[in-house]
Amino acid sequence: MSTMINEVTLLGHKDHGKSTLIGRMLMDTHSVSKARIDNAKMMSKRLGRKFEPGFLLDSFEEEQEGALTIDTTRAQIKYRGSAFEFIDVPGHEELIKNMISGASNASFALLMVSAKGDEGVEDQTKRHLFLAKMMGIESIIVCVNKMDTVDYSERRFEEIVGGLRPFLSNVGFARNSVIFVPVSAYDSDNISRRSERMGWYRGKPLLDLLVDLSKRRRSSGDKTLRIIFQGVMGAGDDLKYIGRVVSGSLNEGEQIVLMPTGKRVMIERIFVKGRAKQTARSGENVALVLDRHIAGDGRGIVGYGSRHRGVRSKSIDALIFAIGRIGVRAKIRSNGVEHQCSIKLVNGIDTTTGGAAAWSGVRELEAGRVVINLNDYICVEPFAKSRELGRFTIHSGKELVGIGIVNG
Amino acid sequence: MIKQDINKLEEKSIFIIREAKTRFNNIAALWSMGKDSTAMLAIARNAFLGKIPFPVIHIDNGIDFPESYKFRDDLADRWGMEVIVAKSKIKPEISGYSCCGANKTVALKGVLKEYGFEALIVSIRRDEHAVRAKERYVSPRDKNFSWNYKDQPAEVWDSYSSKLDKRGHLRIHPLLDWNEIDIWSYIKRNRIPINPLYMSNNGYRYRSLGCTHCTVPIRSNAKSIDAIIRELETTKVEERSGREQDKEKAYIMEKLRSLGYM
Repeated sequence: MSTMINEVTLLGHKDHGKSTLIGRMLMDTHSVSKARIDNAKMMSKRLGRKFEPGFLLDSFEEEQEGALTIDTTRAQIKYRGSAFEFIDVPGHEELIKNMISGASNASFALLMVSAKGDEGVEDQTKRHLFLAKMMGIESIIVCVNKMDTVDYSERRFEEIVGGLRPFLSNVGFARNSVIFVPVSAYDSDNISRRSERMGWYRGKPLLDLLVDLSKRRRSSGDKTLRIIFQGVMGAGDDLKYIGRVVSGSLNEGEQIVLMPTGKRVMIERIFVKGRAKQTARSGENVALVLDRHIAGDGRGIVGYGSRHRGVRSKSIDALIFAIGRIGVRAKIRSNGVEHQCSIKLVNGIDTTTGGAAAWSGVRELEAGRVVINLNDYICVEPFAKSRELGRFTIHSGKELVGIGIVNG
Repeated sequence: MIKQDINKLEEKSIFIIREAKTRFNNIAALWSMGKDSTAMLAIARNAFLGKIPFPVIHIDNGIDFPESYKFRDDLADRWGMEVIVAKSKIKPEISGYSCCGANKTVALKGVLKEYGFEALIVSIRRDEHAVRAKERYVSPRDKNFSWNYKDQPAEVWDSYSSKLDKRGHLRIHPLLDWNEIDIWSYIKRNRIPINPLYMSNNGYRYRSLGCTHCTVPIRSNAKSIDAIIRELETTKVEERSGREQDKEKAYIMEKLRSLGYM
């Protein structure tokens, strides 16, 4: 039987123990081969260090020698009937594009905060939390790590919990969607079993908390039909439109409205995975025969059910995060198509406080509330309503310089 | 090894393969006649309703298994595929790591130059190797085929890179999310023809196929796809344990890949 996999991204400042924790969980759940463990042991020894479980993930020479994660990677574990895919991401500020690449599709997050004297909650810890919330992650487990370096002190744990709570609520995490657990990833304290060294901690060990989260009911999803057109295949009489149903379902014989033009077309035939089907469901890629041709290759068009009035816009109210330099003129990519636009900052958002900031332009590695003006109509909806239609990326030349979500 | 939902995996692969075909004029796929690239071609047939709309490249160093050549010709015929055979010559004085680098990569460079492909579909999976786990779905290579793994483009949500250097190309990785066991579940469900070398013969079978010089079989009695799936459910041995080039020295896969190897 196949298993539903929960994608869990790690978050947190560099050196607070993200890779080490995943390595530890891989070992504690026997999810990794002896050959890989032996290899990680050999590499640790060769570099003159004590065994580093993080080497099960950090596989580049530069990563192992520099003891840092450069790029994102994934590892799967199965535990008590639930399956997880952990996404390791770099914690360095200059590698934030790799962090965002890894974290963008996760369903929940594990935040690492080191309890060690001079570490604690740092700017990058908060920036990662801000980004997680922006990208739609609702639930977080905060691992207060390296408890061995503070003599397993309950006071230090509470100090970190108390220090982080106001920020969490500032960026919009509900109090009951955040769980705190004190751990020592390296020594496996509170990972798969409750640690005897922290008798004051009454909660469950980390892996059990993850199992609980994986069993929470998710919203059943929106029934509104939305199909994003990707392009065409074939030509002439054999022309078919390809696309992906991102919500609702699509039926043969149904009339749909195409946005932004508002034109109506009838679905004559539907193909899913190479076969003719009467219905296509959310998540399926389709090839469609329509009763008439649409101008161009259709890429970027969004189809709605005939009773939907459709949405289109030339001006978008959005929240953006700048990975690189974003000027007033830029391009946004939405539904697979790039559009020239101008971006006007309404107010900056300091990602380390979550609060508004009076900046004159969008700052690198910071966020902002913006108004985006376009020459042509595009089809977007608030992110809270549709994940797929509510998000976009910002480009300058061939570089991705930012991400954005549409405000409601 | 975790069995994932093959329907969900297939949908994402179809999306990625269609993105590649829609966004680039001139693309091709690499086919080693192994299980992964054969499954990928089956997915591409589903994505394009039975007809694969791009050529398929076999990098042939002349020392692949005889079973592989026959399998190639039979399936190419059956599925109506346009196969480009990129010949490379094995030099007896070069072996292992240098051999893969010198032969496969050089032959691939030749074929890309001749046909001018902008993007190549390559059927690597994250669970094969810790270095492959660091890959993007769409990954740029420069004109020397170098993989700049220290500075990969951002890949957010389902927005893939279009960073195409002059004379460089993009590697498209539609199977990145699949596990070895998922490939076999898919082959079984869709009744995909498979290279006979994967089945046990006298107590041995190939789990990962390279050429005759550097691939060794594993001990196994699995004579059917069901038996292979059962074997994978409990194994603790690495898939590429029979591939000599992976073991020579530290960081070998990273070096091979940064030079253009798959």
